[in-house]
Amino acid sequence: MSRTASHRHTHSNGNGSAAPTARPWGDLFGPTMRTAAAAVPRRGFGLDALTALPLSAIAGSLTSGAAGLRRLRTELPVLAMAKTGEVAFRLRELTGHDVIDLESLQDVLSVIYRAAAVREEHRAGTWDVDDFGFERQWAEIFLPLFRVVYRRYWRVDTEGINNIPPGGALLVSNHAGVMPFDASMIKLAVFDLAGERHVRTLIASWMFRQPFVGMFMRRTGQTLGHPDDTRRLLDNGELVLVFPEGVRGTGKPFSERYKLRRFGRGGFVQAALRSGVPIVPISVIGSEETYPMFGDIKPLAKLLGLPYVPITPLGPIPLPSKWQIRFHAPVRTDHMDPAAADDAATVMDLTEQVRGIIQQGLIDDLRHRRTVFAG
Amino acid sequence: MASTPKRARSDGSHRVLITGVSRFWGAELAHRLESDPAIEQIVAIDSGDPARELARTDFIRADTRHSLVGKLVRSLDIDTVVHAGLIIDTREASNRSVHEANVIGTMNLLAACGGEGSPVRKVVVKTSTAVYGSEPDDPSFWAESMNRTSAPRDSLTRDLDEVESYISDFALRNPAVTVTSLRFANVLGPSHDTPFAAYFGLPVVPTVFGFDPRLQFLHEEDAVSALLHAVRADHPGTFNVAGDGVTLLSQAIALIGRVNAPVLPFIGTQVAMAALRRAGLINFPPHLVRLLQHGRVVDTSRLDDFGWKPDNSTLQTVRGFAEHRRIRRLVDETTAYTYEEDLEAFLRAKGRRDPEPATP
Repeated sequence: MSRTASHRHTHSNGNGSAAPTARPWGDLFGPTMRTAAAAVPRRGFGLDALTALPLSAIAGSLTSGAAGLRRLRTELPVLAMAKTGEVAFRLRELTGHDVIDLESLQDVLSVIYRAAAVREEHRAGTWDVDDFGFERQWAEIFLPLFRVVYRRYWRVDTEGINNIPPGGALLVSNHAGVMPFDASMIKLAVFDLAGERHVRTLIASWMFRQPFVGMFMRRTGQTLGHPDDTRRLLDNGELVLVFPEGVRGTGKPFSERYKLRRFGRGGFVQAALRSGVPIVPISVIGSEETYPMFGDIKPLAKLLGLPYVPITPLGPIPLPSKWQIRFHAPVRTDHMDPAAADDAATVMDLTEQVRGIIQQGLIDDLRHRRTVFAG
Repeated sequence: MASTPKRARSDGSHRVLITGVSRFWGAELAHRLESDPAIEQIVAIDSGDPARELARTDFIRADTRHSLVGKLVRSLDIDTVVHAGLIIDTREASNRSVHEANVIGTMNLLAACGGEGSPVRKVVVKTSTAVYGSEPDDPSFWAESMNRTSAPRDSLTRDLDEVESYISDFALRNPAVTVTSLRFANVLGPSHDTPFAAYFGLPVVPTVFGFDPRLQFLHEEDAVSALLHAVRADHPGTFNVAGDGVTLLSQAIALIGRVNAPVLPFIGTQVAMAALRRAGLINFPPHLVRLLQHGRVVDTSRLDDFGWKPDNSTLQTVRGFAEHRRIRRLVDETTAYTYEEDLEAFLRAKGRRDPEPATP
């Protein structure tokens, strides 16, 4: 029972701007669907408004030739959604459980509509690309997919979101899992729970060598882990996420999970000191069990220019561990002299302090975790 | 135009030497300076004919490869030298001749400008942001003080590296001379045919599979106006010159209304481009090919010190270019100007020091 409770908790969080109700989808697809859709507009696009179309209108459109066919193409998914909603409602009444997760279904479908909306804007000549190559609307196309994974697959619990300050800050987290999904989950948690802010992650340059990877990363707001890039973002009041462990973290063997690697050379601390922004340590548990790494095909990695090519149980598919993201209280740097960034002792002290907070957070949360997959 | 006696410039007038008038930049700059009364004399040297008709510019057919420039500078008492002759658009020239013109040409020109008794007080060099290279490990914004992350891959960039070292050497040895180098981003505009203009002119634009770089463009008008500003005001140092903001390559192609074809392989892009060049489909210089994969964006905040701002942002430049292409398809501009050429030649023959004659 505690599992469903925590699940529901993340659910209402996951809705962000929507008013938290016990079953938000019940209002959207059930008998009161039309009024609810009018009252609670979800952000971004009008799928809910579409679901509110009277079915008789669709029937009418079928009788009027080519124009009718065009209308049908746009309205068919809506009709399907409405019907699925009815079935889901019926099933819930019968079984007392959510057999069909309508919210996730709607999230997945919304990707199509969001992509079409962005394509439409591009056709009209509107592109909102910042100097780093980040295109907000384009990045937000993919958020619903990550949201489904966040809620249903890894069932992420997020604690301490209020530790995210309103201005610029450096978020520092442990890093694990062959693929950097911990970054996606942290980004989504902050977007949904801290006022739709886009976290900008600093990534390694090898990613920019890979086709599509570098393109996707840039366009969704990530940039290179270069001191100048970091300073610019922080000075712009952005939230910048760094993984000081880097590939030393993601490429570590399963037996080393939750044991933090060396925190680089303290470059992230220097960046925070120079910009005078707080450092928010983050500990993520669950991520370190997603890709138990049994081996590393080094020659292939070298050939492809990758840091490693791991052998994992399900290949590229991560295991469905239960996750928790904990944002710790910020470590302030604004009372310190920016010139301290050049003082090795201060930098290493702060690095150790941040590393200590994250490691302790991991230990505390692991102590309360009963199993890897149920949490 | 008041005719001031030679060698008397207490009124702040200038005698300017311009290189590279056989191409757009030099010629356009000379043309603009002609209408400036503060410029007493304009001397242009190039081995080829000027790219446009010039009224009161004295054109000397010579190249900067010869130490003749030294004599020229001293005998004409030149105080400002604008080196607009660096070849960045390498489509029509061989690596060998580009190297000769860029490296050896600059070396000789600077040697002529410096040393004992040189009247030169200012050197303006038009160079390129190509010196930063284009690599995946590059910072998102290049500041003037940053150094490229790896050794240059193509001969032009290697040459530019050498040229820049000559310039900084010259600046160190001649502290009394104002040395301004302007690193221009890729230029787009209605009248100047650049490699990117030709590239965006293709009905189907080949891009690198899996890559969508950030690029910056500079409007040709802004490029000329930056050079003019460097001649008129004294701002020593190196400055990045580019339109504000960035564009994605895919964005630029869409705005210009072309079809984006991601057909170039990400390994062996140069080979593929060379094949297209061989087939006569597109002539895209090797130093720009890398740009299609990793792009390049420079930090232009130092332009505040330079005291000048481009009028057009990167996006405005791209949109303006798109607009121009649309109009040109409707109206053929090439016929619009030709009949005046005879008249202009006649006026020039009548009095080249009088740009605005009272009676035609």
